[in-house]
Parts: sequence; structure tokens; C-alpha cells
Amino acid sequence: MTGFARSRPGGWLPVAATLSALVVFPLVVDDGSWLNTAVLVLLYAGLAQAWNILGGFAGQISLGNAAFFGIGAYTSTVLLDRWNVSPWLGMPIGAVIAAGFAVAVFFPFFRLGGHYFAIATIALAEILLILFTNWAFVRGARGMTIPFVRGPDRRPTDSWAFLQFNESRVPYYYVVLGLAVLAVAIAIAVERSKLGYYLRAIKNDQQAARSLGVPVLRYKLIAVAISAAVSAVFGTFYAQYLLFIDPETTMRLELSVLIALVAILGGVGTVVGPLLGALVLIPLSEVTRSQLAGSGNTLDLVLYGGLIMLIAVFQPNGLVAVGDRVRRRRRAVRPAGDGAERGDAPLVGAPGAGD
Amino acid sequence: MRRHHRWNWNALAVVGLLAPILTLSAGGARGAIQDATPAASPVAVECPPDAAGAPEDGVVRVGVILPLSGTAATVGNDERAALELAVEFVNEDRAEVPLPLAAGAGLPTLDGAQVELVFADSQGQAEVGQSEATRLIEDENVVALFGAYNSAVTRTASTAAERAGIPFLNAESSSPDLTEQGYYWFFRTSPHDGTFSEGIYDFIESLNANQSAGLETVSLLYEDTDFGVNSAAALTEQAGTRGLTIAGEVRHATGASSLTAEVQALQQQAADVLIPSSYTTDAILTVQTARQLGYLPQMIVAQDAGYADPAFVEAVGADAEGIATRSAFSPDIFEVKPVAGQVNELYRAATGKDLYDVPARGLTGMLVLLDAINRACSTDPEAIHQALVDTNLGEADTIMPWTGVTFDDNQQNELGRGIIVQVQGGQYRTVFPPEFAVVEPVVPLAPWDQRP
Repeated sequence: MTGFARSRPGGWLPVAATLSALVVFPLVVDDGSWLNTAVLVLLYAGLAQAWNILGGFAGQISLGNAAFFGIGAYTSTVLLDRWNVSPWLGMPIGAVIAAGFAVAVFFPFFRLGGHYFAIATIALAEILLILFTNWAFVRGARGMTIPFVRGPDRRPTDSWAFLQFNESRVPYYYVVLGLAVLAVAIAIAVERSKLGYYLRAIKNDQQAARSLGVPVLRYKLIAVAISAAVSAVFGTFYAQYLLFIDPETTMRLELSVLIALVAILGGVGTVVGPLLGALVLIPLSEVTRSQLAGSGNTLDLVLYGGLIMLIAVFQPNGLVAVGDRVRRRRRAVRPAGDGAERGDAPLVGAPGAGD
Repeated sequence: MRRHHRWNWNALAVVGLLAPILTLSAGGARGAIQDATPAASPVAVECPPDAAGAPEDGVVRVGVILPLSGTAATVGNDERAALELAVEFVNEDRAEVPLPLAAGAGLPTLDGAQVELVFADSQGQAEVGQSEATRLIEDENVVALFGAYNSAVTRTASTAAERAGIPFLNAESSSPDLTEQGYYWFFRTSPHDGTFSEGIYDFIESLNANQSAGLETVSLLYEDTDFGVNSAAALTEQAGTRGLTIAGEVRHATGASSLTAEVQALQQQAADVLIPSSYTTDAILTVQTARQLGYLPQMIVAQDAGYADPAFVEAVGADAEGIATRSAFSPDIFEVKPVAGQVNELYRAATGKDLYDVPARGLTGMLVLLDAINRACSTDPEAIHQALVDTNLGEADTIMPWTGVTFDDNQQNELGRGIIVQVQGGQYRTVFPPEFAVVEPVVPLAPWDQRP
């Protein structure tokens, strides 16, 4: 966490405050739907963070990250269904399979430039969706149900061993909070390491990076492997949260797009961006739907889409740039400021520039 | 099954005029609520003295999850209108409609409590279904959940109900797994794919028995998503016990641009009957390709979907003649069951279109749930559960071609079934079962070149 603290002016205080607020949150709000929204916020924050490692730091825009998410969900669920393997074990196995799959598939993909790369990632997730829909071993289009862990009175009960909580959803919240913190920690580690600098160099100018001796392909493959592994971990969590998965739920194109959208609207290439994006976008979608969708006039979707467009028009650098703008203004009042360029270069990793 | 949504302003005006009149007449009958036994209710309700009784605010809230936006939005909104009609029957005095709870205003055993439906949009997505189910249970304090059309959404939403311990009634999802996973709180009034497949074989048997059709071998053609795969599995499973031989099965991609290879494979199998499970565009292409290649089984009995879509008959014209398909509902029922016709008039007045399969099943399921809540004499989940288990409705209590509603050990309605319609003179006419048939089935199919 030191990197996170260092990368933001103000040091440890905001980080500690945010974390303790997140830990206390379920004790303050015992309301089911807010807790559900919070779980989804943390889930998408983690997925967007994973996307960010490849799409943000390295500038390789992927619209197929749902493929890794789905692999994670299916790996743990198949292991649980066939061999009664705990999802806690299925989770790392899924992460390893997703990473291996990502390296194998993206090896040729990385030879494609710019838009063609993005198109290839769309095709990847769609192909996987069709394969899983027709694969009898994973029950194809019917999807897989994770049976309840039931207590002696036949009522669904809680089980830490099998990562399933039915009496209260609070444990799910803490599990996904832990995973989201892990994802952020990984992102910070990547950002601060040699890997992070290489990835940003690749993003800025691939040819220049290569001529300076950066092994471009190898580092891009490392980035996609990390991104895939983190996505897969959340896939396992999601399967356990829903207790049902089918190819449509875990691998559809909209999911890939939403993951990218959260990161892009939040602020590409920053650690805070995906978190901010999830914090704004997910409750927006949940609240507009719960308040307006019951009428069946789809006003909620119009409003949700309209707000996304507003952010895109007025904050093209992402929500994270709002904070930078405020900070810049504050700094401009004080004499001397070295961060004047921050926030103006959305495709360059902003944090780290402060060193 | 998709139809164009067209507002009928005249009908709206009629409803506008009728509504105050009906409200006035309901006011007149309100004094007699406690004595008014619903015309068609099979049992007079006697409440135990310790029953929890009416909710404090006099309103029973039921959560409804439907696809109100997304690809299934048309169906979802049509069903929504049917559910509102069902609640209108219960809340207002509609003694002229011979369905459970229609006479008398409100739920009699709950001091005439009014029913309020709280709608939520699933967008046809499984994860949204679970979020909305949780919200309805936790924030809206609903006493039961209802929905959710898409089988995957029904699955995740019913998981939320199972966790929370409140009843979930499903009226429109056909995946057999739903009732077979043994959820305590999950009930289904609609027949599932297994029951529907039995109906297809019953029809084939009756053709053999009554018309000496001599149908012995079957080819299956099915599309590769949830629907087709489930259908083929159920049909294969049951064929053996019916003395029918599966000559082969052919799977095709949904929305295929060519089905030539598939139809050639069917041609080689040379079975007596073809049972296809495909959506509209694939159904049209199958028949066109069959005609081109000269493939003609003695009979085609389809598993609903594309073959039951009027657009299919329009597209292939005379080539559709004689093709039979399983269906869940048909306008012919309006002739056989007067109450269905009566409900259809009211539905058309409200929406401008005729009742069809999904809205009809939704309306029926909602009445079953509300009837159970009434017999529970309480909104306590266990009491409603017990009342649902004890449900015993007869043939006259529903607008469906069913013999009634009673739940088996899996809490699946055992008296529901499909019907078989056949294209005759360019129209879908009910040919099976005999109680609902309006014309005789015609077998075998006429050769492609001897059609009008």
C-alpha cells in the first residue's frame, strides 16, 4: 500500500479513512439492496482494475475481458460440481488457467495493431461464449447451478469453507472487499515496478520502447496474464455470489464493454480511476433501474446512457481528472506547482508523475 | 409469437368509460365481501382461529420480476398487462368473471385487503434478476415473488427467494431443471419442456391409434441454445417409453444462413416424423430447403417457437399447410372455454391485442398465487407455502387448456399441458387434445407439388 500512499498527495490519511469506511459500511447499512450495490461496486472496481493493467498502463484496449472472468467462474464451478473442490481452491486454479489461456491467445493477438487488436479481443470473447454454449461438459446453454449448502433444518446456511453465505450477505461483502484490495495492491505493485514503467513506455510509443531495448511482447504478455488472473478471481466470486452461471451471464459482450467503460470513465491508466468509475457508474445503474424501471418505459436506460454521455463529453479524461483539476487550482494559488501537466494527458499514467 | 403492438384508442375510450361504472358497482357489493364465495373457487376457505390475519396497512404486496426492457421487452410488458388484469379481478368486484377471487373486492380472508404488484425490470439478465429480487424482498417488503420469464433469470431470482425464505411462483419458464433442483419455496404453474414433449408424443400416438398413421421413427432437428438443447434432451429421453425410434438428431446453429447440409442429413434418416425445435427464421429456412431438396416426412410436429409464429405461416404460405406444432395456448380456446374469451375481451380492451401464450400463463399463475394467499388467511411465508402445496384448482378455474392446478412433490403443476395446433387453410387450428380440438388432424403431409 505504500505506493498508493506515495502516489497521492495527502499520504496515508485518505487511504486509511476510505478503508475504514469500507470496513464499517455493512455495520451502518444493513439494508439488502445497498449492500448488494456495494458488492457490485467492489466487483466492478476489481474487474476494471484488472482491465486497467493491460488497457490502461499498457494501452492495449481489450473488449474481451469477460472471457477471463468467465473462465474463472467456470473453472471453480466445474471443480465444485464434479469433484466437490472448494471454490477457495478453484479460485487460484481458475486464475492460473485464465493466465495461461491469455498468454496463448494474446501471443498472436499482440501482432495486431490498434483497432484490429480490439476487434480480435471482441471475437475472442464471442468465440468462447459460443464454445461454452455448445459444450455439454459445462452443461452448455443451460448453465450451471451451484447447490445451496443447507443446514440441518434444510434451510440455506453459511459456509466459509465453500464460500457461500445465505443467512446474511455481509460475508460476501468482506470477501469481495478483500479481493478488491488485493486487485488494487497488484495494480499499485505493477505501477511502481519496472514492469509499470515498461508498460507505459510501450503505450507511449511501441517502436521507441523497442528501440530502447524494452522486450515489448514479453511485457505485454505479462500484463495480460496478470489482468486475466485477477479477472478470473472475481469470476469465481461472482459464481458463488449468484450461485448460477451460464455463458450469457459470464461472457457476453456487454460485460466486457462495461468493464472497459468503468475504467475509461473513471480514468485510464491510474489506480484511482477504475475505483472512481465503479463508484459512480454502478450505483447510477442500480438506482436508476430500481427507481424508474418498474414502469417498463426504459426511462432508466435513457437516463443512464445520457449520464455516461455527459461524463464522456465534459470529462474526457475520466472522473479522476476532476480531482486533479481541483488540486491544480489549489496548487495554482500556492507558489510553485510541478503537477500542472497532470490530468491533461489521459493516455499517460498520471500517478507516478509526482515522483 | 410476437405480435405488433398497436394502441386501439377506441378500446381505451371504452375502458375509460367502463372503469367508473365498474368501480361504482363494486362499491355496492362491498358490504357482502365476507359471504361472497368466489364463483369458481373449489373450496370455501375456513381460517384457523390463530391465523395471522390481514397486514396492518390492508395491502398485500407481491414483487414481480419481468424483462421490461431488452430483447424480450414486448413479451414482458404484455405479461405485465395480464398480471394487472388479474389483480383487477381480485381487487374489484368482478362477479361476472368466473375465476377464483373475482367476485368480491380484495382478499376476503384478509379483511378485503387489496393486492399491490411491485414491478421490477430484469432486463432479461440473470444477475439483474437476483439484484432486483433482493431489493423487492428487503426494501419493498413483498410477501411473495413472481416471474421471471427467462429461465436463467428465474433461477437467480428464485435463489434470492430461497435465501430469504419467501414463496416464489413461476408461471412462464419452461426449463425442467427449475423445479427439479428441489427448492423449498419455488412453485411452477406452467408445464415445462418435459410435459410439452409428452404432449407431442401423445399426439403422435393418437394419430397412430385413430387415423392408422403408422408413425414409428422420429428425426429431431434443433437449434443449439438453451431451448433447442433442452427440448431435444426431453424428446430423446421419452421416445423409448413410447415405442418410437429416434432415427437421428441434427443440430443447427441459431440464425443459420444455410440448412442444406442439415436437411440432407434428415433426408438420409428418412424418418416418419420430423420434430423440429427452432426459432422463426430457422423454421422458414428449414421448410424452404426441404421443399427445394424434396424432403418430406409423413408428418412434422414442431416444438412451438418459430413454427407457432404467425410470421412463419405468412413467409412459407402453402408450404406450412399440414405442419403441426405444440403450443401452450390458442385463440381457439376462446370458443371452447367461454371464460377465456371473456378474459380476452378485457385484455384486448386494455392492450389492443389478443391474449397469447405468455400473458395467459402469467395471469393464471398470478391468480393461483393470490388464491393461495387468500387461503393462507395470512401473509406469513410458511402459511402461504402450505396453501400453495394444498392448491387444488379444477379445469373451470383457469383460462388455460389444463385440467387444473395441483402441485407434485417438486412443486410443479401436474395438471398443466400443451396443445397441438395444425396449420389448416393458413390458420392455426387446435387438433389435440380432443377436449380442446376444434377440427380433426390431417395426416400425412401433402406432397410439395400438390399444394394450392
